[in-house]
Amino acid sequence: MKIEILYPEFCNLNGDMGNVKYLKKCLPEAEFIETAIEEEPAFCTQNDLSLIYMGTLSERSQEIVIKKLMPYKERIEELINMGQVFLFTGNSVEVLGEYIVNEDKSKIEGLGIFNIHAKRDMLHRHNSFFLGKYEDIELIGFKSQFTMLYGDNLQEHFATVEMGIGINKESKLEGIKKKNFIGTYIIGPILILNPKFTLKLLELMGVKEPKLAFEKELEEAYEIRYKKFKELSAKEK
Amino acid sequence: MNQKKTLRFYITLWLAKLSSIALKILRRNATYFPGKIALTLCPEFMGMLDKPKTIIGVTGTNGKTTTCNMINNILEQNGFDFINNKYGSNIDGGIATTLIQGANFLGKSKKDLAVLEIDERSANKIFPYITPTYLICTNLFRDSLMRNAHTEFISDILNKYIPKETIMIENADDIICSHIAENNKKIYFSIDKLETDTQNCENITRDIRVCPKCLSKLKYEYVRYHHIGKAYCPNCDYKCPENPDYRITNIDLKNMQIKVKSKNEEETYDIVNDNIINIYNMLAVITVLKQLKLTAKQINDSFAKIKIVETRYSEENYKNYKIVTQLAKGMNPIACSIAFNYTRKEPGNKAVIMILDDLHEEANGSENTAWHYDADYEFLNDESIKQIIVAGPRYMDSYIRLLMADINPEKMVHEKDLLQATSKLKLDGIEKIFILHDLYSIEETKQIKQKVKELINEK
Repeated sequence: MKIEILYPEFCNLNGDMGNVKYLKKCLPEAEFIETAIEEEPAFCTQNDLSLIYMGTLSERSQEIVIKKLMPYKERIEELINMGQVFLFTGNSVEVLGEYIVNEDKSKIEGLGIFNIHAKRDMLHRHNSFFLGKYEDIELIGFKSQFTMLYGDNLQEHFATVEMGIGINKESKLEGIKKKNFIGTYIIGPILILNPKFTLKLLELMGVKEPKLAFEKELEEAYEIRYKKFKELSAKEK
Repeated sequence: MNQKKTLRFYITLWLAKLSSIALKILRRNATYFPGKIALTLCPEFMGMLDKPKTIIGVTGTNGKTTTCNMINNILEQNGFDFINNKYGSNIDGGIATTLIQGANFLGKSKKDLAVLEIDERSANKIFPYITPTYLICTNLFRDSLMRNAHTEFISDILNKYIPKETIMIENADDIICSHIAENNKKIYFSIDKLETDTQNCENITRDIRVCPKCLSKLKYEYVRYHHIGKAYCPNCDYKCPENPDYRITNIDLKNMQIKVKSKNEEETYDIVNDNIINIYNMLAVITVLKQLKLTAKQINDSFAKIKIVETRYSEENYKNYKIVTQLAKGMNPIACSIAFNYTRKEPGNKAVIMILDDLHEEANGSENTAWHYDADYEFLNDESIKQIIVAGPRYMDSYIRLLMADINPEKMVHEKDLLQATSKLKLDGIEKIFILHDLYSIEETKQIKQKVKELINEK
């Protein structure tokens, strides 16, 4: 089993490398390919990747990554359509959108794979708790971001929102999900906070009889936070 | 150059001064509110208020408070008359309060010198109105991800707002911090290569890995911690500054002394605290006070009397044990990593009690715990640490993070209640008890320390 981590030297903010650390604990036999910015991504030539992961990155890094990934746009689209499993967390999904717009209205062209765009507001960082649903799984997590995403994700959203925001403050639909591509702003790290979702992801990745590391402890932590978030959600209403 | 004072300014100043007096009569804290009122009533207030002729500013991610406290102590002990925000906040309201208290009813400054701790995130609200004569930047790391996001964000704010007239005093061993305010006059401080420096970084987090100019992977002559060390780009001229103005050439931990070399002299100072971050803080203090023409003797005589404030670090010998309390600021992965590293490297067998939850955040509902995965919990996986007790509202999150660091669960106690968890402390075979706590758990830390003493008494 091979997992590609894209640009960990840039995409390592918000504790997102915890997702990779946890996958290594769950899949001790797997090969983790860490692709550096000057290297050609493994997904260009390898067809046997179980997961392609990218974490949160800074705004300048987004621009660097867009330039690096632009030549591989068609390959990424092809992989998404073929059902390749992707997990993009935090603002990394923005590089695959149409563009990112700054406060001064200047635009950074994205890869244009998804019909979405991001708006930056560097003086107002958004922080919130997230409670929502992916299929039949109740998801919990955090959001901490300068950007909001706009565009229609009705048919291609990752989760519905019970508490917190979706892709923007007016939206109750979180993230992007197309076939097995998952892009979400949920940090936490999401895989450690959500054992049931991680199990589902491992299944998607083709792991036979997936087993979670520290499953009992993760479940216990999940229950504590889930209960707390449910209380907060009830108060909000 | 100050902005012209308006009638609105004078009314605001008088109201702010009256509020300050009223708060003091009511024995309430008057360290933020008067300034907050002033900035609400007159947004340009700080620009109109006269400022002391010389302003020493201290900013950066870690070490601001300790550095300011040392500067304040030394200046006080040498008879300087100055204002400071020691008891106030380091954001715009706190700075304005300090300046209001240091001004008369006409808005004229009563003192010639100010020492101001300045929150790096608030630079956009402070530097348009205040031009520090000297601005120390201790270091730049990722901090609370909810507030400070990442170092590029903070660097951009500092670069945009630091006045061009300000003389920067920067850590030359921090490749991010040493490139702040690139065109300003600079004074650099640095610590020469140490025996403990390494070739590879042990930390999870390095806030800069790639040259921002040419995207080549940065290399290091040596790494101290995180991105601190002698970094350089192998393919362009981006690097840590060479020939720093003030260098520590030797750290003698046995005799607790450092040697500091500047242009023509090498001087010896007594170490206040042996944590490397506090040695950097001392060097920053020496560097700025040398600009005010203080002698090594004046500085060092005061160093001998300085103790790091108890809320940051304390140690007490109690019967056959040493109890250490150490600030490991929750949500700040670097501060926690430094505290974990210091703990493991202290000689002797230890038990560690951790309460890293931000209880202030807890009061608002819950806490974003993503930062745990940027902190080096792995440092606590050390043979000398015999027991780890983790407690507080998010004890399970910390416990899972410790499990992820491959720490044997049999070595750990995890429980929500702080004192019940502490009661499971095993004193056999250990010499030291480290209590690692957050900034907002000072009272709880005292209770835990008291409980530890009771357990020692019962032994």
